[in-house]
Amino acid sequence: MFGTVYTGFGYWDVTSWILFFGIAAGLTLWLRAQGRDDYKEGTDQDEIYWSGNVVPEDGEDISVPASSAYWGFRKALEPYYNRLIGMHTGIATDIVGFYVLVVAFMAVFILIA
Amino acid sequence: MNWNEHLPALLLAVPLFGAFIAPVVCLFGKTTRNILMTGITFITLIIALLLWKNVLAGGPAIYVMGGESFNIALPSGMALPIRIILEADAFSAFMVLCGAIAAFAGALFSTNYMEKFSGMGRFTSLYFLLTVGMLGMMVTGDLFNFFIFIEIASIASFGLIAFWRDKPEAIEASLKYALVSQVGSMVFLIAAGCLYGKYNALNMAAVGSLLQFGTMEKLVLVFFVGSLAMKCGAFPMHMWLPDAYAEAPSGVTCLLVAVSQASLYGLMRVCFSLYGINLGGSFIPWMIIAMGLASMFFGVSMAVVQHEIKRLIGYHSVSQVGYMLLGLGVGLLVLKDARSMAEYGFTAMKGGIFHIFNYTMYKALLFLAAGAIYYATGKRDLNQLGGLARRMPFTTFMFVIAAAAISGLPPFNGFVSKLLIYESVFAVHPALTVVALVTSVLTLASFVKVFQTAFLGPEKNALVSTREVPAGMLLGMGVLTVAVLGASLFPAWTLSNLVEPAAKALVDQAGYIGAVMGGGL
Repeated sequence: MFGTVYTGFGYWDVTSWILFFGIAAGLTLWLRAQGRDDYKEGTDQDEIYWSGNVVPEDGEDISVPASSAYWGFRKALEPYYNRLIGMHTGIATDIVGFYVLVVAFMAVFILIA
Repeated sequence: MNWNEHLPALLLAVPLFGAFIAPVVCLFGKTTRNILMTGITFITLIIALLLWKNVLAGGPAIYVMGGESFNIALPSGMALPIRIILEADAFSAFMVLCGAIAAFAGALFSTNYMEKFSGMGRFTSLYFLLTVGMLGMMVTGDLFNFFIFIEIASIASFGLIAFWRDKPEAIEASLKYALVSQVGSMVFLIAAGCLYGKYNALNMAAVGSLLQFGTMEKLVLVFFVGSLAMKCGAFPMHMWLPDAYAEAPSGVTCLLVAVSQASLYGLMRVCFSLYGINLGGSFIPWMIIAMGLASMFFGVSMAVVQHEIKRLIGYHSVSQVGYMLLGLGVGLLVLKDARSMAEYGFTAMKGGIFHIFNYTMYKALLFLAAGAIYYATGKRDLNQLGGLARRMPFTTFMFVIAAAAISGLPPFNGFVSKLLIYESVFAVHPALTVVALVTSVLTLASFVKVFQTAFLGPEKNALVSTREVPAGMLLGMGVLTVAVLGASLFPAWTLSNLVEPAAKALVDQAGYIGAVMGGGL
């Protein structure tokens, strides 16, 4: 019904994937159903555990901000990012400059190629 | 009168008519304006669908403006076509369909998204003009008219990007785009003028039939490639794009995504239909591949470190354009080698063209979801967002689908087009696939960050009053979600009915030229 896509080196069959997903989802839900359901609502069992500390009222106090995400990745690639972000000056003449540079580069090399 | 014969002209006439009547109609109130916006874009979508169906059934559609007969491209006694000729082959029809879907979704979304603002007569008029410019670029068979439609789209874009003119960032983004876009357009015009000076023709099919690859033609090709690559956001000429996409109202950004694809269409039309087998050596194909690789990797690198949601998605646009340039560049590289084309070149082209459809749908959806977040919370900075999944379940659901699709997660459509690209460009060099795969991993990492910080996590006190967006905005996103799911669940149908005919039309330079130079229909 959904069809198979042949890439020339392999294929992609969406029906198989949906079947696999259905089986995996069923298994996951079955495992989940094995959990205990006798906890008492409204008691300590129902509370958020935050390393034994009092949970702040505002979610902002316990969130990792997006600007801190992948901190290690950015730190490891700092020299690369310094150059890359340095390119993005936001100055309009720089943007036109890159365009002129690319066109000039292509013009020179296509003529000598 | 058989309306089917006039579809190429109607495709432009309907939104153009909408643009002219919008300032008057919008005086009658919000409801009338909303009916006009959705009605005109819906009719345009129906025309696009009919055009695609007709082209698949009957071959390229030719429409001659201002001639004695609308279907005779080359009247007897004339060696070259001189009228304004629209030419829609399967590739044009495919692009028109993508653009019309995005225009309809953006219009639906804007009905609610823009309801708080004044000046909606101007907004609606410019929105339709942008649609006309985009569709015109996709169906014109003439280099000068391509320039005209670029200008129509550009001028409408400048106005729409700076629509919130009380925001200095919007004015700045529009000004930057205006400057770089105008330089690019002028260079395009000079290139078209050079060809006209030598061949006495501006019609692409006519020039394509006469073209000899000399020094002037080489420079003209460079001017075309440079200008159109800049306008579709290829690295390193992409820097206008995140600013413009971030500052435009989200319904407009949805359409700008399709407009950038019109420039990519122009680039491919020049390379395959105008130059085609006269392209000379492999320098330009390799240049397109190199720009594709650089766009993919550097675009996604910049996206990973962004925390302003629309700028982040904007940098992903640069990255996604890279996939299309890579796929189509590999197709161009083996255009003259029938064996390599059959072995992997055509698959790469199918991947690139399928990615155009996928990108237009899921990227437009991502921008609309970002707009929905801004509408509901008044914030675009991910640092200030969190826990929105509880408050905006429908937006979250559609965002997840779009994010999974752009990240290339199976079974979504982005996975299928990327798979076609990975497995075919590998035959040229494994490094091409490695860069594409690394880009996909970083794309996933980037959208995991967006999903986690905006939609998951504890609720922030500042966002407790957040509510789901109105029905019009959900419908706009819904149209694109259906398109993404359709292409995901029926990839074989999409490939055989939408993508393959477009890819075949693009490599068939003789067919494109013959449709006009053979005298028309």
